[in-house]
Amino acid sequence: MAGSEDMGADDTDADEGTTRPVIAGHDVVKEYVTGGETVRALRGIDFRVDPGEFVAIVGPSGSGKSTLLNMLGLLDVPTSGLVELNGVDVETFGDAERTRKRKETIGFVFQSFHLIPTLTAVENVEVPRLLDRTPRKTRETATDLLERMGLGDRVAHYPDELSGGQKQRVAIARALVNEPRLLLADEPTGNLDRDTGDQILAEFDAITDEGVAVVTVTHDDYVAQSADRVVNLIDGTVREDEEAVTG
Amino acid sequence: MNPLDRLWGSFPAFLMARRNVARAKTRSALAVAVILIGVVAIGAIGAGGVAFQASQFETLGSIGADVQVFAGEDNENGYLTAADVGRIDRVSGQAEIVPLKQESADVVRGGSTAGSATLYGVEEPSALYEVREGSIPANWRKGVLVGSTLADRYDLRPGSKVTLRRTVTEDGETVRRTEEYRVTAVLAQGGQADIANPNEAFVLPPGEFDDDAFAQVIVRSEDATAANETAMEIKRTFNGRRELVSVFERGDIAEQIDEAFRLINLFLVGIGAISLVVAGVSIANVMLMSAIERREEIGVLRAVGYQKLDIVRIMLAEATLLGVVGSLLGGAVTLGVVAVINDALLGDPFAFPAGSLQYVAAGMVFGVIASLLAGIYPAWTAARERPVEALRG
Repeated sequence: MAGSEDMGADDTDADEGTTRPVIAGHDVVKEYVTGGETVRALRGIDFRVDPGEFVAIVGPSGSGKSTLLNMLGLLDVPTSGLVELNGVDVETFGDAERTRKRKETIGFVFQSFHLIPTLTAVENVEVPRLLDRTPRKTRETATDLLERMGLGDRVAHYPDELSGGQKQRVAIARALVNEPRLLLADEPTGNLDRDTGDQILAEFDAITDEGVAVVTVTHDDYVAQSADRVVNLIDGTVREDEEAVTG
Repeated sequence: MNPLDRLWGSFPAFLMARRNVARAKTRSALAVAVILIGVVAIGAIGAGGVAFQASQFETLGSIGADVQVFAGEDNENGYLTAADVGRIDRVSGQAEIVPLKQESADVVRGGSTAGSATLYGVEEPSALYEVREGSIPANWRKGVLVGSTLADRYDLRPGSKVTLRRTVTEDGETVRRTEEYRVTAVLAQGGQADIANPNEAFVLPPGEFDDDAFAQVIVRSEDATAANETAMEIKRTFNGRRELVSVFERGDIAEQIDEAFRLINLFLVGIGAISLVVAGVSIANVMLMSAIERREEIGVLRAVGYQKLDIVRIMLAEATLLGVVGSLLGGAVTLGVVAVINDALLGDPFAFPAGSLQYVAAGMVFGVIASLLAGIYPAWTAARERPVEALRG
């Protein structure tokens, strides 16, 4: 991505010589009330994601993976604890501010692609910037991204004319169009064959090389093995033991 | 990027709206149809009413800024004298006055009475009447002008003769006098509300009547305001404690009739407007369904950085687009319908009376506004949903 190669270096704290995390959480608790019962989805976990890192969150169903991903994506706020985006407590953001931070900082790749069926591939990539009123620049960026994803010949195709892998790559291109610092991917290879999955993982590698942090929730060992770091989430707590439970 | 794409790129909310409208074609078409019907209802009823009003005024005749002056109830003569006419003329200033004598007569055919008719005595008939056949002589001293109904009934044409039996006063005695007149002209048909309606009347030179007895004086002013001032002035001049003249302002009637038509029209347009309310409800329904169907999609938009108001804007753009398309089509259909009404009532499809097109425009504007209003609730419902919930499906 143009202009983001040295993103990691930018975030180095000169005084301490350490990298400031893109997003970090301390003692994060998330509770839901469903049917009069309080469910503790996250039970006081700490996390940090550094620029250029590829983190895989694994864990059984209901372990709180999606909740954590929503927290990282500023789609949800913790019941208690502290979540900091670029060092700023996200609790201080209102809805509009949080929405803007999402747009500026975070790219989403959803489990079932969630492409908009009425828009072409390139228009889908443009969606996050469609309201910016810079149509020409947005179109250039979107076309570049699709070419980079090997979809240069598919820009004018509608989602129902694309294969699963192609849709996923369009979704990744959409997540990158705003040059995010953090890319969140929910089961990015879930519906794909191994070859296509490999392409996606190669893409993630390329992105992290540019200093973008990638966090993915996955059931797929193969994805977890490619990650720099695996966070094993069980019953809303991070298990430090080495062996990931991916069932 | 072609110019059209660039144009849509400048209105991204409308780009998305257009695609969404195109996605559910049948549903959008039905919503557009409902708006169309509403617009046609308002436009056609309103403009049709105006055409009806215009056609009614054509039948009623021109109700201009005329004032009629009669002998008042305290006037011992029971008629207006030449002196009265002179005073009315002075008081009326610039306004043209037409003194009118009036009595009744029997039409005699083949020695026996065939029917009765009104006789008018007018100095200058061309000030009041138009001619259908023949002409009014410049120096009008003799001959008779025949109203169109009588002319048709008795088969009278310029040059034919007619015998009238009149009751006249001679030397203080009332006598019946039968005289034959030559028809010089047949008058054009007058409207029902015309002053001294000529249809069932003969018009004679005033010399044929007793001197100094005028049934009424018509004062023709510039406009209703001037007519009103003249009427007041005449009343001031003649009527002190006793009502020597009664003044009848035609402007009042014209205003009342106008007002009545306006109210009836408003009422009918109100009924038409109900159909636009129904259209609004239908649009709201379409938009709600659209919002529910696209719940996840809207969740995605919110997740990738669309503000609540952005979502509202996109949804409203969609509702507005439906409204605009419906209103444009509705406007076109309305013009067609009104042209048919104009043709039927006024005899010319393109004779749009003043105010007619305003109703068409109003229908279209209301169509767009109704759609916009109807979109607000669904738009807000869609925007308010938390993206986490929406994405969960």
